[in-house]
Amino acid sequence: MIRYPSFSFVFFIIFIAISLYQIKHFILKREVELAKINKNIMLTKSDINILRAELNYLKRPDRIEKLAIEKLNMRPVLPIDIWNIEDLVSTQTIINNGELL
Amino acid sequence: MASFFTIGYRTVSLANINKYDETTKVIKNNDTQSYIKKNVARGDIFDRNKSLLATTIHISSLSINPQNILNRKETISKLKIIFPSINEAIILQKINTKKNHVNLLRIITPKEHIEVLKAGIEGIIVEQKNKRIYPSNSLASHILGNTDIDGKGTAGIEKSFEDKLLNGQDVTLSIHGGVQHILKTVLSEQISKFEAEGGSGIIMDANSGEIYALASLPDYNANNYRETSDIKLFNRATKGIYELGSTLKLITAAVAYESELVKETDLFDVSKPIKISSRTINDFHPLKLAINIPEIIVHSSNIGSAMIAEKIGPDIQLKFLKNLGFFDSVKLEIPEISKPQIITDKKRLSTMTISYGHGISITPVHLATATASIINGGFKSNPSLIKNSSKNNIKKRIFSENTSLKMRSIMRLVVSNKYGTGKKAEAAGYLVGGKTGTADKVKKSGGYFKNKNIVAFTGGFPINKPKFVITIMIDSPKNQKLYGRSTAGYVAAPVIKKIVTRIAPILGINPQNDEALVFTNQLLKYKIRGDEL
Repeated sequence: MIRYPSFSFVFFIIFIAISLYQIKHFILKREVELAKINKNIMLTKSDINILRAELNYLKRPDRIEKLAIEKLNMRPVLPIDIWNIEDLVSTQTIINNGELL
Repeated sequence: MASFFTIGYRTVSLANINKYDETTKVIKNNDTQSYIKKNVARGDIFDRNKSLLATTIHISSLSINPQNILNRKETISKLKIIFPSINEAIILQKINTKKNHVNLLRIITPKEHIEVLKAGIEGIIVEQKNKRIYPSNSLASHILGNTDIDGKGTAGIEKSFEDKLLNGQDVTLSIHGGVQHILKTVLSEQISKFEAEGGSGIIMDANSGEIYALASLPDYNANNYRETSDIKLFNRATKGIYELGSTLKLITAAVAYESELVKETDLFDVSKPIKISSRTINDFHPLKLAINIPEIIVHSSNIGSAMIAEKIGPDIQLKFLKNLGFFDSVKLEIPEISKPQIITDKKRLSTMTISYGHGISITPVHLATATASIINGGFKSNPSLIKNSSKNNIKKRIFSENTSLKMRSIMRLVVSNKYGTGKKAEAAGYLVGGKTGTADKVKKSGGYFKNKNIVAFTGGFPINKPKFVITIMIDSPKNQKLYGRSTAGYVAAPVIKKIVTRIAPILGINPQNDEALVFTNQLLKYKIRGDEL
């Protein structure tokens, strides 16, 4: 009568020990994976930051202006380049009336 | 029982998953990782459109432990293959020491890092460091400031927002990168054209006080801060104090209207100079008639302005100057600020000279702030370099809407009227209004230079419903045969025209017709008389 529960108890403890041991190793493995992923995230973030800085270096206003003038033959916007919508409507009316034809 | 305890203890000990931290081992295996983990990256600084102005990147640097070197010549020759630009003699001198750590190169590329590892050079140490960089080089360098070698803010926004940036939080400035570039470029061209010593400019939201652009020239590349001379580092817009001459007449006129001590119909005889003890107050373009306030401003009459000030009296004059913030430093978010210098003896001569900007030294930002308060409907403006700052949430009135309307109408005439001193500021379609100012430059030792001027222009656009204030100051321009005299009308006013024409489309301000009904209904019409009478 005494032997049976004792034996079961020992068996139960061994089972628990093995299970916990497995869980521990499973968690450790995951933690290592997590640390590696975190490391990669940080390194990628650092790389993105460098690329972002480089992009902002390339699109700085003085460089864009120089490229626009030298390579694209562009010039600053003048007031005559901008139309108010009312002016456009009145121009369209004039065109529709055949006054500019 | 003993066996139960033994098995139980072992169970708990095996289950203790924190006993040996595998993650720490992984982290320790990588220098970069451990460095990033230890140091929270300093926050970034952006302009109002989220363009990056300052950031921190991780770099590799090369050091060596000379005590671990077996063959110095071989070490140097190996380094020379990877880094051909290094000076062998300097490296030999560096490693010929009893120190355990010698810095060789501050920055090496990832490719060079790999080559160093492959070469197997004894004693070599590759360290991961943080470096603060400014991708836009000289753009807004005076505002951004800098950090020291330990990454601590030493100037500008970097210093003022040290705690926030250190905690990894970003700062978004009110600065508009494109507008800042235009201000700097146009101002720089004019400084070169007139062989001036320097200059500064401010473009500010007339209502919110947010500064869209603030330039001080000469400027510098923020990435080379430590190698920059003090003259270039000096912020003329916020720290330099200058007598800005007749631009201050705007304040005199506004105070006259607001105090109601001068009537609209009052005329001032400006035909004769005013003599006080040894001083004589003259006009640059003398008029032989009695003129009213709008005419005094349009003709920029020192005599007329002095007469108004005498009528107002020193108490009211100084009270308004105090309300406009001329007794204190401007509360900007950078440490490089200065307190104005004003003669407060309340003597007759001082009251008169202050009225036209002599005996009162202020920063260009003070002038921009006062201009905003005059044209924005009369509310005190609090300039800010931070986007959506809460500084202007509480509105404090200095001038009435009626005074503001009168001043806007007069400022428009300074630019549009044939007698106006600021005609060259006229930017077709954008309704610019303002005031010019030319003053002898003050010597550091006291007194004035005979042949050096400070020229300024302060104004707003579109002046019928002001959205932006522009203030320009140019230090010591020289007369030019091609471009004109070294006065504000020739030097500072054309800068305004160029800037407004270029920034208005960027800021979404459409050109208007000066004769448009919507405009003529909003500004008052004053008749300006001139020499022909």
